[in-house]
Amino acid sequence: MAETATTVFNSRVPEGPMAEKWDRCKQEMKLVNPANKRKKKIIVVGTGLAGASAAASLAELGYQVESFCFQDSPRRAHSIAAQGGINAAKNYPNDGDSVWRLFYDTVKGGDFRSREANVHRLAQVSNNIIDQCAAQGVPFARDYGGSLANRSFGGAQVSRTFYARGQTGQQLLLGAYSALMRQVSTGRVKLFPRREMLDLVVVDGVARGIIVRNLITGEFEKYSADCVLLCTGGYGNAFYLSTNAKGSNVTAAWRCHKRGAFFANPCYTQIHPTCIPVSGDYQSKLTLMSESLRNDGRVWVPESQSDERRGNQIPDTERDYYLERRYPAFGNLVPRDVASRAAKERCDAGYGVGPSKQAVFLDFRDAIARDGRHAIEAKYGNLFHMYAKITGEDPYQVPMRIYPAVHYTMGGLWVDYHLQSTIPGLFVLGEANFSDHGANRLGASALMQGLADGYFVAPYTTGHFLASHSLPAVSTDDDAFKEAMANAQDRNAKILGIQGTRSSDSIHRELGHILWDYCGMSRERQGLETAMGKIRDLRDEFWSSIKVLGQGEQLNQNLEHAGRLADFLEFGELMVRDALVREESCGGHFREEHQTKENEALRDDENFCHVAAWEFKGVGNEPVEHREHLEFVEVPLATRSYK
Amino acid sequence: MSETLDLTLKVWRQPGSDAPGRYVEYKLTGISTHMSFLEMLDVLNEQLIAKGEEMIAFDHDCREGICGMCSLMINGQAHGPDTGTTTCQLHMRRFKNRDTIVVEPWRAKAFPVIRDLVVDRSAFDRIIEKGGFISVNTGSAPEANAIPVPAHIQETAMDAAACIGCGACVAACKNASAMLFVSAKVSHLSTLPQGQPERASRAQNMVAQMDLEGFGNCTNTEECQAACPAEISVSNIARLNREYLRAKLCSYE
Amino acid sequence: MVTKLAEKQQPSPSAGGRSATKWIMTLLSSSIGQKFVMGITGLLLCSFLVVHLAGNLLVYVGADAYNTYAKELHSMLLLPVAEVGLFLLLFTHIALAFKLTRDNQRARQVGYQQTQSKIQEKPSLFGQTPMGRTSSWMFISGAIILAFLIVHMIDMKLHLNPSVEYSIKTPEGVVEAKPYDIIIQVLGSLTAPIYIVGTIVLGFHLSHGFWSAFQSLGLNHPKYMPWIKKLAILFAFVIAAGFASLPIWGLFIH
Repeated sequence: MAETATTVFNSRVPEGPMAEKWDRCKQEMKLVNPANKRKKKIIVVGTGLAGASAAASLAELGYQVESFCFQDSPRRAHSIAAQGGINAAKNYPNDGDSVWRLFYDTVKGGDFRSREANVHRLAQVSNNIIDQCAAQGVPFARDYGGSLANRSFGGAQVSRTFYARGQTGQQLLLGAYSALMRQVSTGRVKLFPRREMLDLVVVDGVARGIIVRNLITGEFEKYSADCVLLCTGGYGNAFYLSTNAKGSNVTAAWRCHKRGAFFANPCYTQIHPTCIPVSGDYQSKLTLMSESLRNDGRVWVPESQSDERRGNQIPDTERDYYLERRYPAFGNLVPRDVASRAAKERCDAGYGVGPSKQAVFLDFRDAIARDGRHAIEAKYGNLFHMYAKITGEDPYQVPMRIYPAVHYTMGGLWVDYHLQSTIPGLFVLGEANFSDHGANRLGASALMQGLADGYFVAPYTTGHFLASHSLPAVSTDDDAFKEAMANAQDRNAKILGIQGTRSSDSIHRELGHILWDYCGMSRERQGLETAMGKIRDLRDEFWSSIKVLGQGEQLNQNLEHAGRLADFLEFGELMVRDALVREESCGGHFREEHQTKENEALRDDENFCHVAAWEFKGVGNEPVEHREHLEFVEVPLATRSYK
Repeated sequence: MSETLDLTLKVWRQPGSDAPGRYVEYKLTGISTHMSFLEMLDVLNEQLIAKGEEMIAFDHDCREGICGMCSLMINGQAHGPDTGTTTCQLHMRRFKNRDTIVVEPWRAKAFPVIRDLVVDRSAFDRIIEKGGFISVNTGSAPEANAIPVPAHIQETAMDAAACIGCGACVAACKNASAMLFVSAKVSHLSTLPQGQPERASRAQNMVAQMDLEGFGNCTNTEECQAACPAEISVSNIARLNREYLRAKLCSYE
Repeated sequence: MVTKLAEKQQPSPSAGGRSATKWIMTLLSSSIGQKFVMGITGLLLCSFLVVHLAGNLLVYVGADAYNTYAKELHSMLLLPVAEVGLFLLLFTHIALAFKLTRDNQRARQVGYQQTQSKIQEKPSLFGQTPMGRTSSWMFISGAIILAFLIVHMIDMKLHLNPSVEYSIKTPEGVVEAKPYDIIIQVLGSLTAPIYIVGTIVLGFHLSHGFWSAFQSLGLNHPKYMPWIKKLAILFAFVIAAGFASLPIWGLFIH
């Protein structure tokens, strides 16, 4: 198996009591004087919550910022699709919330695989985020008196989730985007939309620039800076079908990994239990139905296998409400990972419903009978409408069909407490890093993390980096830039030159099937080993028989997709390897060999209470695993139970 | 349960922004009624690649109706026949067997075609740049509950803030006017107490940029409202008119 | 330093003069400002229509009533001023219509192969023309009304309608015919059908223009807008029916 290095990580977590670490860190950080800030240039890749908020905040401080995104406008980054809300420890409902409780819940929810100090900082700045967003004009829900409203989320015991209807992500992103555009108008941010980052330029061991492809002209462009912030999201699209946007990809993060940034915990993926199931081979993406539906809906499958009847024609005596049966204490409200695995178990056993047999029912019949259709409509009307639009079925009449889908990735590039990767000068923010969610993310925490990193962490830590390094000026004519540019160009030229027989979509679907079947909701050794071989074969097939038409010097969506797929094919192998090496079950990572008698996840704190950070050693070569040991001082290690 | 359709598509193909374009006809068979419109285009593109033809370029990203990246004029209607729906959420069950579907890009001087069905909507970003924000630096925000916002004001602001910036309003307007987009942003910020200090300059600067970009004038035909996937109301346009006149006639700016 | 500050605080008179006119110029050259002027002139023209119709309906009362009204009206000292004002209103309204329409055409240089309205609401009375929704054909309806106005001016102001006798021979010589006699002739003449068409098209134009003016002035409130829209249709109907009734009466009844 892979070689394990015994590197001692310097995660740069400050000394002192947990509650004082961040303040102490800020006090000890060096500052850049205002006149010098103007001379410092910072590249920010990605314009989601993390990227837009970081770019805006850095520009406000006076730095020159260059902001890149592959979409046609920064406002379209996929943070926009988040529905539910954003957590903060404001304790407005007076129900006993506090920074410590939010910290505790997040560490525990992450199944004890996150770094305590990072999570505590996240909980600390959560309140500033709400203040900042409210001041920007984010229309958070309000009570009649005009103060902010909260709702409960994901089984938490307190109400700490702030929301803007079902479009919280959209409103927060538009807030960050507006702050960014304000800086564009001052001239401190230069915007580069429709640019895809294809390589990181490292000069003398420090990240000093990027290579991008202009997606309209196809030209390759070089940009230099004093440091680079990567805010490029997660890698869920490795599975082909996910709730991610079609364009979401791992390319920028992966190319940084190939330049020396360690990739941490790539096997941690979150599978969301309530998505609209796949309806056919042509399916291009999956749509999430909010978790809140499980408050009133009951999940079941027929008692007999391959029951062809419509859901509403199956009598109660022939239904198996399996969540209520298996988890009488939590019933339909068990956490995401548990609900997802239970649905898969039933479908694998042959009880699935619908044409694909890969779905379970989520039934509102009893809730409608109890509260009336009107009450259900008031609560979930927009979700029911969306379901009807996509499936053509009326969920008021027949039960919804749902199935789990890939939703979020907790793994990402390894970062220290300053959010700096193993390459000095390369900072990684938001979903692209690994730091805060451990092996499982709690609902309404992704938005919080993206904005915490961008508004309140990176502006300090990048300043400290710039103040404590004397960076010589670099020109984009430097050899490192030329080499990286040639590297990116060659790769594209190679893809265009193959002119084989297979479309990128067909290969991506195949990769998705491999990952979903062997490295999805549950994993076991043999399957993972099989997957590893299959991915390698598929990668070889890609490089021998991909068919991409058109030229490189034009808008070429075919080429864009193939390039991203090539990276997913390399990344997929690492994901599987990480899953193989982690011989335990924790959060979103479930190894069938490691479960309790009741089929629950069995963690191994003795041997796996660490972050696995992988070092790239060449495509097809075994990467080196480095381990950052995790210590749980404030929240003692404990087992979760929902029985 | 699943039916299939045979369709004829007439799609605008244009190799580049300066190159001439034309409509090309494609035949498709066995399209499942459960497909989304974009999935139908994916299928067509797969067939084109197999035949050695370049795929049709079209913008899309989230495919769940919120990012605003997808566009398309489908049979002369922005985002197709359904109201309150983006193209990515439009499903093929909305069409009949043997239908001919004409697919065109958004057409406006301010939205030049880049390739095939992809247009450049950066004009919207430039309008936002001129005032679609509240000037508050990171860290200088007051405690969130210090400024109460009455629930109905928040609701009005949210109704306007729901705009996804797709440009369907411009595409559907016979004058290619961007008033619905601009008014949604101005309404969102100007109704909230936080947006008051910049109210006058925001309306004036954003309208000035809108005019500069070459959008047409609003003639109150209300086609924008009907085409808007986020169902933004034209009452926002009246509010923008009011804001603008108020700023011009009553403010010191 | 001190002098510089003083300079900044006291703008020179000429700069002040420029900025005093500058805001009005930017207002009038902006899209919204022009729509504002369109709305204001439109509404003022509407008020003229009310007065004009009221006067014309005196035809039904009788020759004496109408002649007296005409005489009183024409003896008003301020009438020429009002006429000039009316002409300016009309001219501004029309000139802006041309300008805005040209701008709008330039905003979409390549047209669609096909367009279809997505408005679900059923068109109201006057809401639909044979060519599409009334709201989309304001320039065309405006142009038809303009053509009608020219005919109307030829008939009533220039006195050039060949089938109308504007003067009568009396023993004392040739004198001008009484206003009532002229209008009766015009309403029964070959141009009468043009009057019917013109006033009905005016109804279409008003049904959109009336409420649209309120919208352009920013006067849209969920409480009142439905009423303004209803009022627009009522207003359009009253104006169109009122004016159209005259040539119908002139042609077939009188």
